Amino acid sequence: MAKILIPTPLRQYAEKNNSVDVSGATVGEALANLTTQFPDLRKNLFTDEGKLRSFVNVYVNDEDIRYLQKDATAVADGDTISIVPSIAGGLC
Amino acid sequence: MIRVHPEPWATMVAHAEATFPNECCGAMLGTADGDDKTVTFALPLENAYTGGQEDRYEIRPEDLLRVEREARQRGLDVIGIFHSHPDCDAYFSKTDLENSCPWYSFIVLSIQKGKFHHANSWLPNAEQTKAEQEPLEY
Repeated sequence: MAKILIPTPLRQYAEKNNSVDVSGATVGEALANLTTQFPDLRKNLFTDEGKLRSFVNVYVNDEDIRYLQKDATAVADGDTISIVPSIAGGLC
Repeated sequence: MIRVHPEPWATMVAHAEATFPNECCGAMLGTADGDDKTVTFALPLENAYTGGQEDRYEIRPEDLLRVEREARQRGLDVIGIFHSHPDCDAYFSKTDLENSCPWYSFIVLSIQKGKFHHANSWLPNAEQTKAEQEPLEY
């Protein structure tokens, strides 16, 4: 089982848990199991087409999955998966 | 409604004035009871935008990962993000909206000629198409 840390604003969709233990051999499977357990999380993390929203980054331990194998990144027992948004902006 | 306690507010304003004429950015930690939010700690972050920072800011995801860990250690929640608009009003721009995240409150501080002028808080939607103004108390 891996542990997924739930960001504060999303805990309301995960029965107020700040982390959830999930099974799954890859990040994609772990996130799918998470959103099966807590369906209200799905629209916050994924578009209607099932892609991760553009502002959602996923880390396994300290590694950004974009620089690993993305959804296919392997997850081992005891790994921590973090969900972190992208944030930027500007005047215009 | 979002309320910012005096100490974090002073941290936010000082960071915004010190980085003028560039944009600053940072995270706000505190507690939330539904839509009622209280900021008790502000964490200035480095503006990671690699071009001109007088009209752009960017927060590294790894810095936000660190913020999330710090919040957990402090027993607080990540409530929102703040950034400054140098010599400009505290509106939520198109660029702000297109690079936002609907999970957080976004406080924009207007810094005019190097000094704090006014601030507003915004709540962007998930589609990044509009942001609603949130009552702000500081």
